[in-house]
Amino acid sequence: MLVLATFLSTHATLRAEQELTGEVPVELIPVPRQIRSDCGFALLASPLDPSGAGRAVEILKGHGATGLWRVIELDSPTSRHKEKHYEPIP
Amino acid sequence: MSPFRRVLDARGLACPQPVILTRKALAEGGFSELEVIVNTSSGRENVARFAGHAGCTIGSMEESGEETRIVIQPPVTSGSDPTSTKSLTDATMPLVEPGIQTVFLSSRTIGRGDDELGALLMRAFLYTLTESETPPQRVLLMNSGVTLAAEGSVHLENLRRLVDLGVEILACGACLEFYKLTDQLAVGRVSNMQEITEFLLQGNVLSL
Repeated sequence: MLVLATFLSTHATLRAEQELTGEVPVELIPVPRQIRSDCGFALLASPLDPSGAGRAVEILKGHGATGLWRVIELDSPTSRHKEKHYEPIP
Repeated sequence: MSPFRRVLDARGLACPQPVILTRKALAEGGFSELEVIVNTSSGRENVARFAGHAGCTIGSMEESGEETRIVIQPPVTSGSDPTSTKSLTDATMPLVEPGIQTVFLSSRTIGRGDDELGALLMRAFLYTLTESETPPQRVLLMNSGVTLAAEGSVHLENLRRLVDLGVEILACGACLEFYKLTDQLAVGRVSNMQEITEFLLQGNVLSL
């Protein structure tokens, strides 16, 4: 279960990443095209179990996340990579 | 459909010709097995890798001397309509022909300017490379680029993913030594100027 978080700026993304160390495992990635076409960075949080997703969302919000998405990974018929779908979290 | 084997002789052809011809044959279809004959190790690896990416099954790989015969079975369709094999094969082909073979990273950052932003761009680039349908064959690391693959680097996970995709990571030995990282290369192997130059001269290089 993955959660994607976007922030107001690159600096805010970096700051959140540093602050989250030890709280939620996050990976810094480019903002997926499906979400926004402009260039930017996002944090991909991988809570260890699905029940941790809610807590991760709260933590990410607490560190300034302005956009949050649940990442749904599906097997792709045409690619060896999983197809990713992003479901907005209100 | 009765089994029909098409034979593609790609001996003596330079990279990436064997892959391009394999792709073309798979797109044309009209056979149940494609036998590709190659006589270079890069041809063998690239054709097999490409076939795997295209959703095909490798029926067998027989080596005799320099030659390898790779038998490729295109994805099987559930219906009996003979035209359906072709359409599925088309659908599974990567849209982009194998282009960039070598990515040359001569810095731990992308571009000049703010180093923090440059490092961030490098992380985003390497992550995106791991998601690519057509990853390169190798990533060459030079100057401070070698620090990307050293112990403690934030890029190790992305580099390991690339290795899992079959990408080779080569780090300049003199550069590792200069930065006192000789015994701290965590991903990939040590290379030298001769090998690196050879890959750069082969072309299809993306230099960042």
